Amino acid sequence: MAANTQRSAKKTRFINNVIVHGVLAVLAFVWVFPIAWVVLTSFRAEKGSYVSTFLPQGYTLDNYARLFTDTTILNFPKMFGNTLFIAICSCILSTFYVLAVSYCLSRLRFKMRKPYMNMAMILGLFPGFMSMVAVYFILKALGLSEGGLIRLALILCYSGGAGLGFQIAKGFFDTIPLAIDEAALIDGCTRWQIFTKMTLPLSKPVIVYTVLTSFIGPWVDFIFAKVICRANADYYTVAIGLWKMLEKEYIDSWYTCFAAGAVLISIPIAILFMFLQRYYVDGMSGAVKG
Amino acid sequence: MKKKLAILLSAAMGLSVMGGCGNSAAQSVPEDGKVEHIRLMVWAPSGDQSKDSGEWLQKCCEAFDEAHPEYDIDFVYGVADEATAAGTVAQDPDASADVFMYANDNLSVLTDAKAIAKIGGIYEEEVMSTNSETVTDSVRSDGYLYGVPFTTNTWFMYYDKSVFSDDDVKNLDTMLEKGVVSFPFTNSWYLPSFYIGNGCTLFEDGTVEEAGVDFTGEKAYEVTDYLIDLIDNPNFVVDADGSGMAGLRDGSINAIFTGSWDAASIKEILGDNMGVVSLPTYTLNGEEKQMMAYAGSKAIGVNSTSDHMVASIQLAIYLGSAEAQQLHYELRNVVPCNTELLQDPGIASDMLVTAQNDTFDNTSILQPFVSAMSNCWTPVENMGKGIRNESVTHDNSREQTDGMNEAMNSNGI
Repeated sequence: MAANTQRSAKKTRFINNVIVHGVLAVLAFVWVFPIAWVVLTSFRAEKGSYVSTFLPQGYTLDNYARLFTDTTILNFPKMFGNTLFIAICSCILSTFYVLAVSYCLSRLRFKMRKPYMNMAMILGLFPGFMSMVAVYFILKALGLSEGGLIRLALILCYSGGAGLGFQIAKGFFDTIPLAIDEAALIDGCTRWQIFTKMTLPLSKPVIVYTVLTSFIGPWVDFIFAKVICRANADYYTVAIGLWKMLEKEYIDSWYTCFAAGAVLISIPIAILFMFLQRYYVDGMSGAVKG
Repeated sequence: MKKKLAILLSAAMGLSVMGGCGNSAAQSVPEDGKVEHIRLMVWAPSGDQSKDSGEWLQKCCEAFDEAHPEYDIDFVYGVADEATAAGTVAQDPDASADVFMYANDNLSVLTDAKAIAKIGGIYEEEVMSTNSETVTDSVRSDGYLYGVPFTTNTWFMYYDKSVFSDDDVKNLDTMLEKGVVSFPFTNSWYLPSFYIGNGCTLFEDGTVEEAGVDFTGEKAYEVTDYLIDLIDNPNFVVDADGSGMAGLRDGSINAIFTGSWDAASIKEILGDNMGVVSLPTYTLNGEEKQMMAYAGSKAIGVNSTSDHMVASIQLAIYLGSAEAQQLHYELRNVVPCNTELLQDPGIASDMLVTAQNDTFDNTSILQPFVSAMSNCWTPVENMGKGIRNESVTHDNSREQTDGMNEAMNSNGI
């Protein structure tokens, strides 16, 4: 009798596992499928935007080579460089803004604290590109819409609003016991020293999270770059370049290169994620445990 | 103190007035040897500026600078293709190019934004004398000329000569008996050609906005019924997302409908077997009806806020001149529209040029650019999709056609 129950329990567990793994396999397939297709397309030897077979008939690295060698019509290396530069600068700036604002709101008490948090909450409800046209005209009035200053304009756009996205970092700082700050104060630390010497070293996970999100924003943005770059092809970012490749004049010969470009731009993000992913989940939970 | 200031101020004003005189004198009397130093911003598609395709824009601009000793011009080049330039210029004319290229269906965007300068006087005469009236009409609005056309813009048929003979390509139904034909059935730039061919009209001759669209009645029902049968034909394939080109490449399709932008790719696929021709007829209830494409032009426009209006207009005229069009054709295969140039035997014998111009002259209507035209795209696209998905059938083709006509005549709100 006991053996019977045991066997049926085992059986039930086995069936459950099969079902669960089956469902997960289907989901994984659905998720990975488009990515695998883009990667396959990037190595495809046949030209054109449409093929009748799923698997390419021939494989080649030419699409990648062409991206970096055929630069007269669409200068991909330059766009890649522009995007990298803009993304790194905005990432550094926005990370600093976010952490500084979060620290102030978490640790300091001042009159505007509540109103500021409410205001940030309400402003955050609106999509950012709603202000796009206004932002463009302000940048133009400041003379930032032409020449090399376009890069600065984009960096300002991407990092300027960062101070409104403090919620997660502030939540994290709130979990660091106040007693640590007080101890540091008694030992003669200034606020700045507490921030840099106590809070930040305890907050690696949330720093990583902030760095990741503020890098990806400018890295994949299309709409602001399009509005601000206009006809200045020298300052195009990768997103605009990839979009250009799909225009009717270019799509037939550039489609496989487009896929190659899409694979290339995912590499920096993939690397960041691989190295930093263990912090990523911690960042959402809390600081000092047990 | 105040007096001194007043004297200073009036002296400054006097100087600036004189300065103004000096400037205008330099502009109108270049024989003095005075050279005006100006900065002109020019936008063109990237292909016109790239080293690989011969830097057409740079060459033409430098030639213009040399031909005009009265100007010393710094050119600033920007990248904006004809399809999107109008939107970018209209967004902020102040910060846009002095001279740019646009597709004529965007003319109303530019005139609504007051971003484009009228071309009049001797310059208008020059444009009129070197272009056919149909071409210049494509950049005319309310009687004013708004640009210098440099090429026509339409679509026609490419086919495999080893499959179809010269006689076959005159009729779509004959072609369908001999080979596989692909047509962008769900694209509303192409599909109306069947309806227009059977007498349906848009805004009368394309300019009377109040007249509305007439895609209804027996003439439209017949076409819908024809299209339903057409899609059932096993030799007919819908071309979407580049599938026509892919079929041409693997040999499963023998004819497709597209424009000059795909010429190079098709030449690569078909080689000497490439045939290009204006649109065929189709047989509707025993009668031959001519398919009629939408046609337009690409033109060079001048920004209405340009600081150097005269120089900009002269440059636009030069970029649209026979000389520049010839170079454009040699470097980038841009089909010329200059009437003298089209007489040139070298150009006249080019299949592509002939096909495009035949289409423009005989088998197309000028694509209307009245504002209400923007309501006409989605309903036709939906009709194409409906027929493809078999939700439009012989049983309901009348209601569906009337529905399309109604939607084309309403602003959708």
